[in-house]
Amino acid sequence: MLQDERRTRLANAMAQAGIDAVVVYGNAWQGDYLRYAADYGILEGHGIAVVTAGGACELFLDSAVEAERAEVETTGISIRLAPEIGRAVAARLDRIANHRIAVAPNRLLPNFLADPARGFRLEDGTALLDRLLMQKLPGELDALRRAAKMADEGYAVFRQAAIPGCRQYELCGTVETFLRGKGCPDNFMIVGSGGRDVLGMTPPSDRRIAPGDLVTTELTPAIDGYYAQICRTLVAGRATEAQRRAHALYLEALEAGIAAVKPGATAADVARAENDVFRKYGLGEYVTDRYTRVRGHGLGLFADSKPHILEDVTTVLEPGMALVVHPNTYHPEVGYMVLGDAVLVTETGAEVLIRTPRELFEREA
Amino acid sequence: MRRGLIAWSKTELPEAALAGRVARTQAAMADAGLAALILYSNNTRPAAASWLCGFVPYWSEGIMVLPRVGEPYLVVALTKRVQTWIAATSRVAKVVSTGRFGLEAGKEILAAGGGTVGIADLDGFPSGIAAELRGTGLGLVDATPLFADLRSKADPAELALAARAAAIARVALAQASARHDESGMMIAAVEGEARARGAEECYVAAATDLAHDTRLKRHEGSSPLGRSYAVRATVAYKGSWVRATRTVFRATGGSAHIRQGAERFAAAVATLPHSSGFAGVRSWLVEGCRVAQPLEALAGSAVAEPRVLPPGGLVSVQACLDVDGEPIVLGAPALLGARGEPAALLLSPLYDEGG
Repeated sequence: MLQDERRTRLANAMAQAGIDAVVVYGNAWQGDYLRYAADYGILEGHGIAVVTAGGACELFLDSAVEAERAEVETTGISIRLAPEIGRAVAARLDRIANHRIAVAPNRLLPNFLADPARGFRLEDGTALLDRLLMQKLPGELDALRRAAKMADEGYAVFRQAAIPGCRQYELCGTVETFLRGKGCPDNFMIVGSGGRDVLGMTPPSDRRIAPGDLVTTELTPAIDGYYAQICRTLVAGRATEAQRRAHALYLEALEAGIAAVKPGATAADVARAENDVFRKYGLGEYVTDRYTRVRGHGLGLFADSKPHILEDVTTVLEPGMALVVHPNTYHPEVGYMVLGDAVLVTETGAEVLIRTPRELFEREA
Repeated sequence: MRRGLIAWSKTELPEAALAGRVARTQAAMADAGLAALILYSNNTRPAAASWLCGFVPYWSEGIMVLPRVGEPYLVVALTKRVQTWIAATSRVAKVVSTGRFGLEAGKEILAAGGGTVGIADLDGFPSGIAAELRGTGLGLVDATPLFADLRSKADPAELALAARAAAIARVALAQASARHDESGMMIAAVEGEARARGAEECYVAAATDLAHDTRLKRHEGSSPLGRSYAVRATVAYKGSWVRATRTVFRATGGSAHIRQGAERFAAAVATLPHSSGFAGVRSWLVEGCRVAQPLEALAGSAVAEPRVLPPGGLVSVQACLDVDGEPIVLGAPALLGARGEPAALLLSPLYDEGG
């Protein structure tokens, strides 16, 4: 079982670092550390797992429905309903206060537990978990491949549903309905529709798709907790020459970025390869943080994992890492455009997981 | 991560409603000697900030700062490019985008004169942000009781939004039917209906075979549905959250059990804030919003230290009852009596048979 392999790996990493226990925090926004340690996908409230040497895991949850859900959805761990979760975890840690205890992610730990007045001392164990999250096991890579297949299928549904007159939230609802019907429990998705007035993507609004709109999405379904992303742009109607020209630039940038993915390269190398294409065409301004956030990012148990693909991120790529490469940004002639594929870092380069053609799709009513 | 409709409708949540909440909070802050109140928000704990300014982050995190005088503002990790969206969905004076929002918020508060800063849910506040705030020299105090007291009684705008959320939950749950034979398509039907009607969020959980296990879970893949099953929809609509649960019999003859269970459930809910009505049920749970978590466990069979249920508060109630040996799981939002009156359900736990 994948969860057992992860727990063993975590226990080994703890032993190697001389750590006796790790305190792992999670919520529905940043749930990857908790999912790794406890194999639980939290939706509501705080969740804190205490993992001790040997891999024994106690999961504290402050939501009663989450605690009930965890009892059914997890195996091999102890579940504690703790409405006063900080105090309950503190009481647990008091029993091992003379041991070395690490916490991840450190900055999100509830304030009560970080109070220096507590009887235990917590070290920052974020980097220890980050390494495990980035360098994936074969079973994790397999889950990502299956999630990417779901992303392809989800985007096919998106393309069909994105017709003029459809409201953005209805479009997203159609995709979510499809994913639930396929047994896929979670998805990260943002959208945009319009023209030069659209500077980025957000959750869906009640704006209706209009003829000629660029309709963009990042669609990121999760399988067994692992998120894989596809980014595509379609035109509601026939694409203009300007839209085609712009898309060709994004395609060139995506191909350059993926070509840069190889062991030993850095996240910065990938970002630079993408951005150099924009700079070549005099659009360097549009790869700055005024117009775009990142040029891709890690994938895994969080849809926006480390490393971020930026020109100042020096994380070295290694086989077993998963990324989405996406030169998504604003184009001054046509508006916000996206194009991106999930990839795995292999011994020789990149394995592209997404099968959907890298086209500027046209969707007529 | 939210991918439902996040929008501020000034017809459903007029500016005056938010302004009134801000004014009441500032009056309480003045009494408590607070220069500013800070409310943390992410997509799992959005309810405090959204109550005062409508802001719901679809992902990432931020804090809302309410000065003792003036309008609230946001300091968020979301990028500047999203500020237009934030401004369109929130009633705030300004939005500051920064990766170190504890530090920036501290600077803003100091620039306005400093003073004691109250934090609602200080115990649960992210320690990294608290450290940044303390690093600016500000003193932090726990403002949980102050905020929870203000938040406890539902105002008319909140009631109206909860009623809409409940209506969405009801029509969504009505999609679960005796004709479904596996969980995936049933859950898709429920969630799809909620999202098509503008739900901000919808979590669907199910107990696929009540004869085997009455606990509800989120489903990955698909499972066959038993002779009877239960399905729960947790629905958010413009910041208002409700949970509703129904039981569906796939075999004939279950409707009488459900009707009897629903009557017992409604009678038990009417006894709230006392729990006497739940004597003899297998399990029960009352949830409501105190601070930032939309639905927090307040009382129930698994809650060792129940909280005082607030008069006039909105809650969601769920129970598992035995009716002639058949487990029946039901749930619905309810309004607690403001002056000792019986609590009342916001929606009927009865659904058309087969529908």
